[in-house]
Amino acid sequence: MSIQNLQRYDPFADEGNASNESDIHIRIQQRNGKKTLTTVQGIDEKYDKRKILKYCKKEFACNGTVVSREEYGEVIQMQGDQRERIADWLIRNKIADKEKIKVHGF
Amino acid sequence: MDEPAEPMFDPSIKKKKNRKKELAEETPAVDEELEADFNLETKKKKKPPKERLAAAAEQPEEDGGQGAASAVEGDGSEDKDYSYSELLSRAFRAMMERNPDMLSEKKKVVMKPPSLMRVGTKKTAFANFTEISKQIRRKPDHLLAYLLTELGTTGSVDGNNQLIIKGRFQTKNIESVLRSYIKEYVMCHTCRSHDTELVKETRLFFLQCSTCGSRCSVASIKSGFQAQVGRRAAQRAKAT
Repeated sequence: MSIQNLQRYDPFADEGNASNESDIHIRIQQRNGKKTLTTVQGIDEKYDKRKILKYCKKEFACNGTVVSREEYGEVIQMQGDQRERIADWLIRNKIADKEKIKVHGF
Repeated sequence: MDEPAEPMFDPSIKKKKNRKKELAEETPAVDEELEADFNLETKKKKKPPKERLAAAAEQPEEDGGQGAASAVEGDGSEDKDYSYSELLSRAFRAMMERNPDMLSEKKKVVMKPPSLMRVGTKKTAFANFTEISKQIRRKPDHLLAYLLTELGTTGSVDGNNQLIIKGRFQTKNIESVLRSYIKEYVMCHTCRSHDTELVKETRLFFLQCSTCGSRCSVASIKSGFQAQVGRRAAQRAKAT
């Protein structure tokens, strides 16, 4: 018979993993001429970025790669300005919510 | 509410001495009185707790229809419970009557558009940089850090006037970045005024509004991942 008051009570138990994952940042950089480069950082570890990239490449008709850095994890790089497209794609495939996606850049 | 309690309050009797005795004696008597009061009284105020809760559930529905009309008149009975939305709309109506310009959105019409000039082929000069940072009342360093992080490039301020950004940018691109900066770091999140100051307190940046006095914490500017663009050989030579 356990004493009620001595049981540990987790006040955040019912939050349902609200802030478990970090934001997804979509950035854009300029290359030579009009060419640009889109960068997606912060997709959750459990997703295979290479698979995501493979389907995105087919859909957006662009080239891309996955670069890994210690600070940022695995980052997806794509040719061209794919910010809006990748944001919609992520939302459509339920990889992220709209609130977590932060689009930077001009 | 006071009447039933009065028999218990006897100022002549000192608290410590006789209280327990009093209570022991009086509680059975008082209880009877209270019960009698509850049953006999038909006014709303004196209803027993159970009935009152049931009635309270019905009241908002009753008042919903009358509330809008009676809200402004302010009828004297304290028994009606106004719903939150009624009170809110009443408050806004009063505000709009007295301060018509308070709720207007003054979207910084006064700000000058940024003037961009190309410097060579790979750089853009932002001529109004320091002026604009003064107009929105922010430190140029902060604005500079934000601009460079958002655009993903490098740049520096030249001779106090111009900001030289590496890359080719259009006026509307820079404008949209400025707009997002103002929305995040200049405009107050509660009252939408531009009369704000950015203060730093114990490692956090706070946006202090001088019109409504609210203080909101804002995220610090962090630069994200920077892909490798440009010549690798040059970067490697620079690194070593």
